[in-house]
Amino acid sequence: MAQYKVTFLPEGKAVIATSEDTLLDAARLAGVYVSSLCGGDMICGKCRVVVKEGQVFEEQHMLLSREEVRSGYALACASHPRSDVVVEIPIESRMEGKQIVVDEDAQRFSGLAKVDLAKYEFEHAPLIEKIYLEIPPPSLEDSLSDLSRLFRAIRTHVDVPIMQTGLKNIRRLPQILRRGDWNITCTLGQRGGTVEVIEIEEGDTSNRNYGVAIDVGTTTVVVHLIDLKASRILATDATYNSQITFGEDVITRLIYAKEEVGGRERLHEAIIGNINMMINNTTAAAGVNLQHVTCALCAGNTTMMHFLLDLDSSNIRREPYIPAATNVPPVRAVEVGIQINPRGLLYGVPGVSSYVGGDITSGVLASGIYRAPELSMLIDVGTNGEIVIGNNEWLVCCSASAGPAFEGGEVKFGMRATHGAIERVKVLEGGELVETVVIANEKPRGICGSGLIDIISELRHVGVIDRTAKFAEPGYCSRLRRTDDGIEFVLAYADDTAIGRDIVLTQPDIDNLIRSKAAVFAGASVLIKSVNLRFSDLERVYIAGGFGNYLDLHGAIAIGLLPDVPLEKVKFIGNSSLNGAKLAILSREASLELENIAQKMTYIDLSSNLKFMEEYSSAMFLPHTNLELFPSVT
Amino acid sequence: MESVVEKWTTKVNTITLGATKQMGGTREKTVTVGGSSTLPYLNFEGAWPNPPAIAIEMWDREPDGWPEPLADAYADVWKDPAKWAKRAVEYGAEMLCVTLKGTHPDFGNRSPDEAAGVVKDVLKAVGVPLIIWGSGDFNKDNDVMPRVSEAAKGENCLLGTAVEKNYKTLTASCLADGHKIIGESPLDINIAKQVNILISEMGFKLEDIVIFPATGALGYGMEYSYSIMERGRTAGLSGDRMLAQPVICTVGQESWRVKEARGSEKDFPTWGDLKKRGPLWEATCAATLMQAGGEIVVMRHPDAVKSFKSLLREFTA
Repeated sequence: MAQYKVTFLPEGKAVIATSEDTLLDAARLAGVYVSSLCGGDMICGKCRVVVKEGQVFEEQHMLLSREEVRSGYALACASHPRSDVVVEIPIESRMEGKQIVVDEDAQRFSGLAKVDLAKYEFEHAPLIEKIYLEIPPPSLEDSLSDLSRLFRAIRTHVDVPIMQTGLKNIRRLPQILRRGDWNITCTLGQRGGTVEVIEIEEGDTSNRNYGVAIDVGTTTVVVHLIDLKASRILATDATYNSQITFGEDVITRLIYAKEEVGGRERLHEAIIGNINMMINNTTAAAGVNLQHVTCALCAGNTTMMHFLLDLDSSNIRREPYIPAATNVPPVRAVEVGIQINPRGLLYGVPGVSSYVGGDITSGVLASGIYRAPELSMLIDVGTNGEIVIGNNEWLVCCSASAGPAFEGGEVKFGMRATHGAIERVKVLEGGELVETVVIANEKPRGICGSGLIDIISELRHVGVIDRTAKFAEPGYCSRLRRTDDGIEFVLAYADDTAIGRDIVLTQPDIDNLIRSKAAVFAGASVLIKSVNLRFSDLERVYIAGGFGNYLDLHGAIAIGLLPDVPLEKVKFIGNSSLNGAKLAILSREASLELENIAQKMTYIDLSSNLKFMEEYSSAMFLPHTNLELFPSVT
Repeated sequence: MESVVEKWTTKVNTITLGATKQMGGTREKTVTVGGSSTLPYLNFEGAWPNPPAIAIEMWDREPDGWPEPLADAYADVWKDPAKWAKRAVEYGAEMLCVTLKGTHPDFGNRSPDEAAGVVKDVLKAVGVPLIIWGSGDFNKDNDVMPRVSEAAKGENCLLGTAVEKNYKTLTASCLADGHKIIGESPLDINIAKQVNILISEMGFKLEDIVIFPATGALGYGMEYSYSIMERGRTAGLSGDRMLAQPVICTVGQESWRVKEARGSEKDFPTWGDLKKRGPLWEATCAATLMQAGGEIVVMRHPDAVKSFKSLLREFTA
């Protein structure tokens, strides 16, 4: 098989690829990011590259216009090298280094924040505790063994029925006890009903007790380094989930894990790599020795947890959708490759089912809906829209496959809430004037979820789209125009953008968004009807998700994504998954609560629910076919 | 024994078609349908003031492929719309449904003027109210229907169809020329509502809309039509204003497509006399869909019309 050198610009990284490889394969080999939603199936058309030098063979597809082909554009997933080639990755196909508005806390409280457990009425008792012990030395009268002596000393401090420790600790124990003159610090980790002596150190190091709370998102991964003793967040970091190169949504990745040789390993390594990098960054920033990080708590959806723990995920996507585990007992972090103290423990937030994971349990904990007497609803808008309804007596939940539209997927100029994303839109003068707010005040490169919610609601408001979300005729306003691919609305003209092309919204984009919002609303609708209640019975509605820092609640109601409840009842709570994880790592009480919540939640499966399709098609309208459900909008 | 009676909260809208001289038109009489406060034939539950009305379907051109029983009834007149119209009225049509098939790009591509001419001829020839049905080609309908609507201005016709993807032109024409409108939806209660919302948001009265939920023939999906019609009707009677409209069914068109109605005796020797079989199929289909809540039935064969009428008499006596 012929081998060629493939060089990627602007990085200049080169790699040897065979004639069988696609340029997307080569980019992965070279560690160069090329945007791809479908993972190389020639469906999404996002992996646009420009072949600068050399020959490629390009498989047939219809995803580029004639003009683009003429100017050298090719799809990386469809192109195979036929000589040494130089390929440029244009700006729209590149990944920004980091997402900047991942988590409110990450920005606002970096290095300073204290988690206020009292606000949540939890006792401060971290999952991993360090206690300083002054142990009475042995004598002929008191001749217990070193290990029994240690356990006895621990029991005088804490009430622990069953204790265990590893062989390595027992081997080191006699020396440490004597070298420290019987004054030692002991690290105790909770493992279900037992307590493990994780580490024994000479002297008093009980002030150096650190853990990391990790939100393992399908799109974004966030790490907070926490001083477990002081309940203080020391440093934060966030990055894209590198698994994105293998597919944008969980289903594509599940297929990749199953169908590709080595796929499962690659997915596992990708997420472990992300987490280790961020643990390194945060400990370095806070001046913390990795040895003193003895605890990692992860909240993620069930699929992400499978990839993280390298579990067999192949039954998740097949009826009857059975995961390997939803509640994984603590394991050694090092066993899965997470680099903290080698005897440190990795905890996972328990989930409910294949499609309602620990991220939601965590969100329920953070929102507090499980202990409030009033009826509340939590909606986490992501690729899967997860919804929980309940109060201190009961909880029901469901998960509606919403698609990645609100995260920028399946939208021509869609992108995540990062540099250059249009996050707010106002449309004026019958569609002639568009005012935008772009993240970091840059020239726009695309539009993110909150901007997409705005634009749908605004276009409807000025009549550019009707209630079926179809464009008016071109000529309705100058920004509405007909192209070979249909009608499109110009959000920003080429001169005003960072990519030198007009940023437009197409009819298929709008159709995808409508499908997404309909799925979320239909899920909520089925769920509330399953308990014989109505939206008007809700006292509180919490919205969570990666919308960045801004979400126009009124717009979200106007397009029928959220039910029409008074705005004062609605609260945007950002990354609730991470907030729940932070509570749990700092309080055993909170972490036990997570298990109670997971057990308490009744899962309603929508895929087998006959009413879901009916609700879904009613919701495919702006705001909804049953206008009377949206009195404030119509 | 006390009978269990269902109490509905609202009524089906009442709609009157056609305009007499006093009303500014030239029709000899008008037709009123709807107004019921219960499901069909259940006079013990509520009012069912107007029995279904029968329209006979005619085309603006000679049909091709109409089977023998229909040819026997119309072949001598179907080249002349005025004569066809008169014949249909003789057969008992309370309304005529003029289908502008000939304007379709694939079926003659007749001009808007020609179509308007046909409608004028029919209006002159007969005194019953008209239903005027476009060819179904969006672009062509948007050229033809405004002209036709204008030609029938003041006659209070029923024009169709407005669909989710193409409703604006027809709605505007009906508004301008004082006609009623048919909102079409493909066996989908949500879309039926959506079409009604879209039409009414252009300033059109909900009371002037007739729902066409798409019709399935006996043996070919009629159960879908039936359940959609019934669901829509019960919602309409339960307070949903977007589904309180009378319903029209194209029974003739659908029945005469199926092989049971049109298959020759040579091909199906055990099925019996085609001349009886076809009309019977059509009448059965009509009777069933009226049971589900239809108000206007568009039929083809005179014998089918006759037997359906006698059935109605029995039920309403």
